Amino acid sequence: MKEVRSWSATLVSMPGKSGRVIACRACSAELCGTDASWKEHAVLRESPLREAAGATYRSAGDEVLLRRFYCGSCGAALDSEIALPGEPFLLDRLAE
Amino acid sequence: MDPMTFSIIRHRLFRIVDEAVITLKHVSGSAITNEGHDLMVSLYGADGSLLMGGVGFLHHLTSAAEACKAVIRKFGDRIGEGDVYLLNDPYTAALHTSDIYLVAPIHYDGKLVAWSACFVHVYDIGAMNPGGFSPQSIDIFTEGFSSPGIKIVDKGEMVQDVVDTILNMVRSPEMVMLDLRSMIACNNVARERMQSLIAKYGPETVNEAGAELIRQSEELLRARLLELPDGSWQSRQYLDVQGETATVRLTMTKKGDRLIFDFTGSSPQSRHSINCTYWAALGGLFAPLFPLLCYDITWNEGVIRLIEMIAPEGSVVNCTRPAPVSVATVGAIQSVNNAACATIGKMLAASDKYREQATAVWHANHFAIFKFGRNQKGGQSIGILTETFAGAGGASAFADGVDIGGEVPNPISRMANVETVEASFPIRYLFRKRMADSGGPGRWRGGTGGELAIVPHKAPDGGLHYVISGKGDRHPMSDGLAGGLPGGPNAYLWAKSGEAAAAGDDGRLPGGAQAVSWGVFPLMGEDALYVRWNGGGGYGDPLDRDPENVAKDVVGALVSADAARDIYGVVLSEQGVVDTAATDALRGSMKAERMAGEAA
Amino acid sequence: MSETTYLVATDVGGTCTDTIVVSSTGEITIGKALSTPPDFATGVLNSIRSAADAMQLDMSRILEKTTLFIHGSTVVDNTVFTREGSRTGLVATEGFEDTLLVTRGAYGRWSGLTEEGIKNPVKTSRAPALVDPAAIVGVRERIDCDGDVVQALDMAGAREAIRHLVQDRKVDAIAVSFLWSFYNPSHEQAIRKLVEEVAPGTYVTLSSDIAPVPGEYERTSTAVINAYAGRVAGDYLKELGDLLARNGYRGQTMVMQGYGGLLPVEEAAVRAVGMIECGPAAGVIGAKFLGDAMGDLDIIAADMGGTTFKVGVIQNGELEYAREPMVDRFHYVAPKIDVVSIGAGGGSIIQLDPKTKLPTVGPRSAGSRPGPICYGLGGQEPTLTDVMMLIGYMDSGHFLRGSMPLDSENTRRIFKQKIADPLGTSVEDAAIGIYRIASAQITDLIRKITVERGLDPRDFVLHSFGGTCGMLASAFGEELSVRRIVIPYTASVNCAFGLVTADVRHEYSVTKTLPVDVPASEINAVYAPLMEKAARQLASEGFGKDSISMSWSVDFRYRRQVHEVTTPVRVETPLTDDGLKALVADFESLYERKFGRGSAYREAGIEMTMFRLTASGLLKRPDLPKLAEGKADASAARIGSRPIFVERRGALAEGNIYDFEKLEPGNRLRGPAVIHTPITTIAVQEGQSARMDGFRNIVLEMER
Repeated sequence: MKEVRSWSATLVSMPGKSGRVIACRACSAELCGTDASWKEHAVLRESPLREAAGATYRSAGDEVLLRRFYCGSCGAALDSEIALPGEPFLLDRLAE
Repeated sequence: MDPMTFSIIRHRLFRIVDEAVITLKHVSGSAITNEGHDLMVSLYGADGSLLMGGVGFLHHLTSAAEACKAVIRKFGDRIGEGDVYLLNDPYTAALHTSDIYLVAPIHYDGKLVAWSACFVHVYDIGAMNPGGFSPQSIDIFTEGFSSPGIKIVDKGEMVQDVVDTILNMVRSPEMVMLDLRSMIACNNVARERMQSLIAKYGPETVNEAGAELIRQSEELLRARLLELPDGSWQSRQYLDVQGETATVRLTMTKKGDRLIFDFTGSSPQSRHSINCTYWAALGGLFAPLFPLLCYDITWNEGVIRLIEMIAPEGSVVNCTRPAPVSVATVGAIQSVNNAACATIGKMLAASDKYREQATAVWHANHFAIFKFGRNQKGGQSIGILTETFAGAGGASAFADGVDIGGEVPNPISRMANVETVEASFPIRYLFRKRMADSGGPGRWRGGTGGELAIVPHKAPDGGLHYVISGKGDRHPMSDGLAGGLPGGPNAYLWAKSGEAAAAGDDGRLPGGAQAVSWGVFPLMGEDALYVRWNGGGGYGDPLDRDPENVAKDVVGALVSADAARDIYGVVLSEQGVVDTAATDALRGSMKAERMAGEAA
Repeated sequence: MSETTYLVATDVGGTCTDTIVVSSTGEITIGKALSTPPDFATGVLNSIRSAADAMQLDMSRILEKTTLFIHGSTVVDNTVFTREGSRTGLVATEGFEDTLLVTRGAYGRWSGLTEEGIKNPVKTSRAPALVDPAAIVGVRERIDCDGDVVQALDMAGAREAIRHLVQDRKVDAIAVSFLWSFYNPSHEQAIRKLVEEVAPGTYVTLSSDIAPVPGEYERTSTAVINAYAGRVAGDYLKELGDLLARNGYRGQTMVMQGYGGLLPVEEAAVRAVGMIECGPAAGVIGAKFLGDAMGDLDIIAADMGGTTFKVGVIQNGELEYAREPMVDRFHYVAPKIDVVSIGAGGGSIIQLDPKTKLPTVGPRSAGSRPGPICYGLGGQEPTLTDVMMLIGYMDSGHFLRGSMPLDSENTRRIFKQKIADPLGTSVEDAAIGIYRIASAQITDLIRKITVERGLDPRDFVLHSFGGTCGMLASAFGEELSVRRIVIPYTASVNCAFGLVTADVRHEYSVTKTLPVDVPASEINAVYAPLMEKAARQLASEGFGKDSISMSWSVDFRYRRQVHEVTTPVRVETPLTDDGLKALVADFESLYERKFGRGSAYREAGIEMTMFRLTASGLLKRPDLPKLAEGKADASAARIGSRPIFVERRGALAEGNIYDFEKLEPGNRLRGPAVIHTPITTIAVQEGQSARMDGFRNIVLEMER
């Protein structure tokens, strides 16, 4: 497969040096191979939700975390998730 | 069969459901049925499989099918023409005890040819707390009357002793009787219309059309699934009861023409009544699936055939008897709704063809707040705060979510006017409006939720009480999509009489406030109850939002100036005009700051 | 011998502007012209001129001798649809500024959508409000559910709010809507005075004036629509008045209201919402008048033209009012005759669903340009009208008296290629199938709206109006098992006909909750000031005591129930205690009739929630000349035979063709047959007979 395909709304898969890779849709920077967990290769910003994003979140529990995943090469937001401490990443993958 | 006749029969089956819904609303006359549209009517085949699902609370479509099948198993040959059966046991098929199913066989020429089924949330079911949601219940035995199937109409005649027994166990039996009567009338209309349809086209033709309809839905969904990418997607939902957290975990896998929802890893069942049973979880995942994946496909058995669910026994999404479940519809079932909406949204967003159908999660945290007490006319009243049906839309790939725009599992809900509530309960609203910053930030913003406050007003007993339950206020639940953030969480505050306000308290409330989320509380004297409900999830990167749209939101008080700067990276002048250069600079530095972080 | 005088009625519809001129000698003349939005007044004059031409008289000759001009217009609907109203602001109770925008939650998101639309929530949204959200201001004030003031009106804040709207937001119309204002309008009235002081000339609508009823969302929305369209409607009526005056008219002008009554132009001009959908309402009024003349009290009035199918219901001589009326996608509350419509008309385009291959009819329409393929005006998409030609109901030689040839060859070719071939069937069978789908859709719609009211279509007479309805009425009327079908002589200008049969009617109401065990005197005390006000109003319009009629009706409900039923007071007024008992009994039977057996919930107690007064000034009715019915033999009107679709056989079969203009009252004929009138076609099915009555209506009866 040569072509660039959608992996998610913010990511694509495309041919890389050794097999197909997941890349940022915005800047085409490569994150990892399609069989890896891409979130491990993105920039993670994890902070208590209460402090992360404005006043309306201040009623959230102290332990509730907002995880934001960014492209390390262009800074585009790739995904976000809510988690309690110690939760594994939510894993989304295509079967290519 | 010829496409014209098929087309006519299909349309007429839909109309039959529609007419039965009208009848249900007319006869019931209750606010929860008429305003909240907390009801459902559908037609089922002779074996109880879903033939034509109506527009109501959609998590009932599959559960009511199971209710028909349970009645078939239990009563077999004894099912007679003109019978009506009641079923509300959650461990048999129902969602919780207060959502009563009445299912009725439809005969033609003496032969059982179809079923109609409907539900309403009855006025009361005799659980520990009034109104059906019972946070103080510790098991199913304290959640009121429940039956795995009982005949209440025998060949057209009301089985009075049975009905009297049920009514003997509920508060306001006359209101519950009216609910039962409305469902009987509704089934009658469905039966009569089905019979005249069969009389016109013949039983074979109608039967064939029904089978074709199911086949067609299956084929259409199959074709759609084949167009969508294979893969698996995960989501997670937290439920809070006074600091105890339960988690619903979902992995949705799509392979070829199959879709599997696997809830393995979800928490063990709770001691609180937020749990749901197997059939309720199944209904919970179909509720968003029908409108999100089958928006142009008839909702019937054909859709169900392609879907599989794995729900571990003894978990919060498949609890075992006698775990309490009365809060299920605003508890674990809604968590299943949300989790399924999130994974379906991710799957659609991964497809270039279907991205525009993807949505962030809509209104994800119902609050069941039932006011009860003596009203200004001297009578006892029980009633839900209908703002829970007001909801908030999730953002999509092309538009903001609709502010206070409803929810996916109940496509045609609405809330009551303030004047309607104030006329029948001894309370006064201090305000009711959209909540700034509650819509999940994103390139497309989630719809805002709302906020309200009520105080006692001219109450003969000085006020009233309320039962509150749900999933708590600690967690945001309307997940964002494509990098968008979740909608703000719910909040419930009890501003107490005579308690001094602290710095930072809401000046609009009469005094110091404490959070409440579970149990029975007073609204007496100078008390106030403040409720804030969640916004929808956002879609895309907030830094990609058109600054003009941010500016417009700030003028409309939907987004605060702080959020505009800190989350959207938009710099506004004092007049609220976008400073383009400063905005570009700020967004640039925010992106740089993101990149400066280390890879995980 | 006195000189001939005229009554002129003109109805402006979406496509055509229709006129009826009734002379004092009883002659009826019809005029038709295209509507000319947004300058509707020109179309009105053209339409009157067309009637004058038919009478071979000069328009000004007629207008000079006209004693009354009656008018109905879509100007308000059009202003809302095209968003060409005034820049409008809204003053609301502080804390409730969002009431209009949030439309009671999802209500405004799904209202007015089709089934298909509702099932796809991701693609739904609200219509943007008629008010810029930035032009909504809250003012501190609060009135409670008894009308008591909880928080006095902040006058300084109100003054600033108005200044802000007028100067910063540049509005030239302001709607005012406060909570509970219908119980205590003093705060809203104070705002009106302030606007007059601060910004004279600004158009103001108070919710307590325009819709003094409970339910703040609907009341606010009504006030906003009225403020938004008020100036446009007022200017239009004034311009039309001037134009008529320049052409010689000296009399009074009456304007049709959505509830089916007339208001003097001066009053209509300040109640724009009253004019919404007044044309279709006039159509129902016309059907009722005709029904009264024919002795039919229960009527289903169906109107099918080029783009829509509309239906209204008259039960026991009483009109049905809409429960939750809307214009475009905006809710409002005002008495309005319930007319339900679907997008199915002669111009509706036939398509095959790309996935399922099932044929659909409408809602897209080919309109009048390019129109159906058979008109030969460039239409390339098959429409319902093309189907009518393919199944033999329309014929080239007879369409519009043969003035417009139909392109049969091209129609057949395109229909075969786009519809019949993909379906794998013959042109005839495909056309028959589509005809049946259209008929079934109409059947389902009528069944739905009758069921909503607890009615059985079998008790009704069907009136068929409009250019397309006559070809379908015999089919769907038979499936609904209506008592008989009437295609009125005035079917093509039905709405204009309705105008001349209406009376002046003022509607008043007071919202007040009373239990039913109060002494009758308490109710009479509610009515006394209303009666006085109404009598003064009608007297000022020139109605004498003998041409005034006052009727009361009361809204009742069972406590803790949401359904309210307006119950007409049939006993003598003012009420006696016994009369009140009889009225309550009437409510109970009406409730069960509407909502079904077992729906009444007596145990909760009954209460009255609204007291209504309808004050009518009776106008002289046109005398419909009734001709004597002669011989039954219709053979003199038979002009041939050809294959036409026969429902019972499911195929085309030879049918007789008749010329309407050659039929005589009393003539009878049997189906299968087709009657060509100058404007439309009437299909008569096998097993039905058609008779021309003394009013030259065609009456179809089933031979059962």
